[in-house]
Amino acid sequence: MRKKSKWLALLLVLGLVLAACGDGEGGDTTTTAAGAEEPTTTAGEEEMTTTTAGEEEMAEIATDVGVDLEAQTITIGLLSDLSGPFAPLVQVINSGHEIYWANVNANGGINGLQVNLEVRDTGYVVDTHVQLYEELKSQVVAFGHSTGSPHTVAINPQLQADGILAIPLTWYSGWSDPAINANLVPHGVPYCIEAMNMIEYLTLEAPDATTIAIASSPGDYGEDSNAGARLAAEELGLEIVYDGTGLVNAADEATLAEVASGIAGSGAELVWVTTSPTPFGSIYGQALAAGFTGALWSGAGPTWNPALVGPDSPINEALASNFYVSAYYAPWGADSAGNQEVRELVEAAGAPPLDYYAEGVIEAKIMEQALRAAYDAGDMTQAGVLAAAKSLESVTFEGLAPDETYVGEPNDRVQRAQFISRPDPAGLADGTSTGVTLVESMYTSPIAEAYEFTETCFSLG
Amino acid sequence: MRGRPLLHTSYESDQALLNTTAKRVMLGIFILILVSIPFQVVPGLEFLGEEDWLRLLSTTAIFAIGALGLNILTGLAGQVSLGHSFFMGIGAYTAVWLGGPVGGPFIGLGLPIWIWLPAAGIVAALVGVAVGPTAVRVRGLYLAIVTLGLVFIGEYLFRNWNSLTGGAQVGRDFPRLQVRLWDEEAPLIDFTTSGSWFGLDLSGTAKSFFFLVLLAVGFTLLAKNLQRTRVGRAFMSIRDRDIAAEIMGVNEFAYKLLAFGISSFYAGIAGALLASFVSRVIPERWDLFLSVQFIAIILIGGAGTVTGTLLGSAFVVLLPRVVQNFTLWLQGVAAQGEGILSSIANVFVATSSNDFGLINTFAGVGPGLSVAQLNLVLYGLLIIGFLIFEPLGLYGIWLRVRNYWKGWPFTY
Repeated sequence: MRKKSKWLALLLVLGLVLAACGDGEGGDTTTTAAGAEEPTTTAGEEEMTTTTAGEEEMAEIATDVGVDLEAQTITIGLLSDLSGPFAPLVQVINSGHEIYWANVNANGGINGLQVNLEVRDTGYVVDTHVQLYEELKSQVVAFGHSTGSPHTVAINPQLQADGILAIPLTWYSGWSDPAINANLVPHGVPYCIEAMNMIEYLTLEAPDATTIAIASSPGDYGEDSNAGARLAAEELGLEIVYDGTGLVNAADEATLAEVASGIAGSGAELVWVTTSPTPFGSIYGQALAAGFTGALWSGAGPTWNPALVGPDSPINEALASNFYVSAYYAPWGADSAGNQEVRELVEAAGAPPLDYYAEGVIEAKIMEQALRAAYDAGDMTQAGVLAAAKSLESVTFEGLAPDETYVGEPNDRVQRAQFISRPDPAGLADGTSTGVTLVESMYTSPIAEAYEFTETCFSLG
Repeated sequence: MRGRPLLHTSYESDQALLNTTAKRVMLGIFILILVSIPFQVVPGLEFLGEEDWLRLLSTTAIFAIGALGLNILTGLAGQVSLGHSFFMGIGAYTAVWLGGPVGGPFIGLGLPIWIWLPAAGIVAALVGVAVGPTAVRVRGLYLAIVTLGLVFIGEYLFRNWNSLTGGAQVGRDFPRLQVRLWDEEAPLIDFTTSGSWFGLDLSGTAKSFFFLVLLAVGFTLLAKNLQRTRVGRAFMSIRDRDIAAEIMGVNEFAYKLLAFGISSFYAGIAGALLASFVSRVIPERWDLFLSVQFIAIILIGGAGTVTGTLLGSAFVVLLPRVVQNFTLWLQGVAAQGEGILSSIANVFVATSSNDFGLINTFAGVGPGLSVAQLNLVLYGLLIIGFLIFEPLGLYGIWLRVRNYWKGWPFTY
């Protein structure tokens, strides 16, 4: 018994050591977006000048990391939270990436080059994020997304030093700030402008409202959003009767009860909550139970999840009557060419209908435009792709999301348009919708329109 | 005594840090390899010199410093502590208080590293001694609960003290590993940017690596030395039987307090270095899981042994990367689609949303564990496995291997 256990332990350790050595070359196997495996050779760059099909046009393309003209591949990195708090969302977003790139690859790729994804799970931990960035930067030409604001801020100096492009997967207003975004191409309406849009929209629905309650999770997400909410409240002459900015702690039930009673006790006519779906459901339910029924509610995009109006949800009918869903892109069922494309791709891949594929497709489309522009410019180095992305005058999503531009003054290019939907419990129950019906497409409120954007609404310091 | 390397004829030679020639030679080779890593000259180990592996090894050095501290408290003095991450947090925020920029949005005095780094250890040690009297009155499970409380108090404090910590989920930038005499613009020695040292071109990561390894070596020597002093022996006597120790004249209260102080000093230094090395840390970083990682290091490495602690640190820090590479390798094998090996690999990995597998290697929605989740499962299994099969940890395995070859080809 004793002897056996010794060998067992030894084997375990040896197995792990061997596993480490088995990939000692630095993990140079990459997967295509379709999931098939395609080894790329690191020696490929030296052999670049040897004869391959279409050598003459290829020879003029400069490359360094992540583009292999020999193997005809482009590798893009995704720094994804696949095991942390946003895992359920980011998994769908990544599926959007996979499905989209598989289609691009099947239709000839980027001028014949097949796009591979190199995905790493950051677990929403800053150290891990930085570590995985360091690992991928010598394998990928650019980052298709980087999940989390503090996480992206942490790698930002390194991105700038290395000259690599990243698409932030957060809607922090700092990404449009010229002091921060030298290597970032944001998309969608920033949190603070989103708050201006939604609160002004609520006052259109309830013209007599004079009071508002606001609450949020801590961090850039809640602070940024509520910076916009305060500005909108001032413009609209709304009195903030309850301010729970930063108080919502998903892990602490007591804070949710406190915020719920604060909102209910304030008697506000409008409520703006910026958090994640679970704490939101708890706060809304508790306020409802306390007899707080007269107000109109809304919250920043990530606050919403269709499960809130699922058939078993006790608050589905109440939400349908007084909640407004804010989104950075059009919901699944929207009537646009972009949405039609997403629906066809997802259905062809046999995946269930969900709203969040759109985010992955939007990121992939920005990256695709940048890669095509870099190819046309003959420079597919990391710096070349960055320069190409930063000079994109118009990236169009065909109605899936408002078009983006990355040239010009920050005030001219910051995104101000968004989507507004109403909850649709009946549609969700019978499978005809993803839980929402679109009411406003590409909506921009006059306050957001007039807002002079020169720097971030909330500084991460 | 020539030819009788294991016969010690004096107390000094018996107690020497490196009491055999083999140990001296091995250590020499090990240090040579360590120093050569950034230059990628050792065949088979070139990959360790790549930026991301250098970062992992630097993190290992930081974790080793922290774990050496916990080893003194838990391994030597026998006091279980789950509060290690709290003391690391204290160290980190002391560092940023003293070393953070003046006039920024957060508290900072702009002092150089030779003040903030030692201060991080000292303040953490003082806090350790301050909470010590409460902790010293209880032992075993109760001590674990008391120290567990510290983690939650700390997390609450760090999350809400916005002017110091940057606030929950936001955090702030920490002072970098740069040596300045005072507050001059250009640092005297910069461990973060690429440049030339003694005619050798080094990346910033390589410089940080050297600095952190040097610190780890220094703290290892201190820890190793502590074991053979009066204090170290007093710690061990308390661990083995506290009542007997008191009867022998060991002041239990004072020594337990001292153990807390020394352990917290190490933790404070490690916390400051970790925050500085990562450059940005959110208050939630100093959570219970970090403490559990340190417990895992001690248990997997071998409680009470310095060598084991170092092995354990390397194991725990490198495990996620090893698992990740192993998964990528499995994925590659599975994707070949033919042969027995590929079929076996296919059972373990899910390569698409319609494929079943233990590990999810594609990015999207589907069955299987993500790599990070698999890591958590492995931590649990390894801790249980080592506790049952090898309480001496990796160090115990090393001992057996060594003793086997010592007598080879005879069994003893």
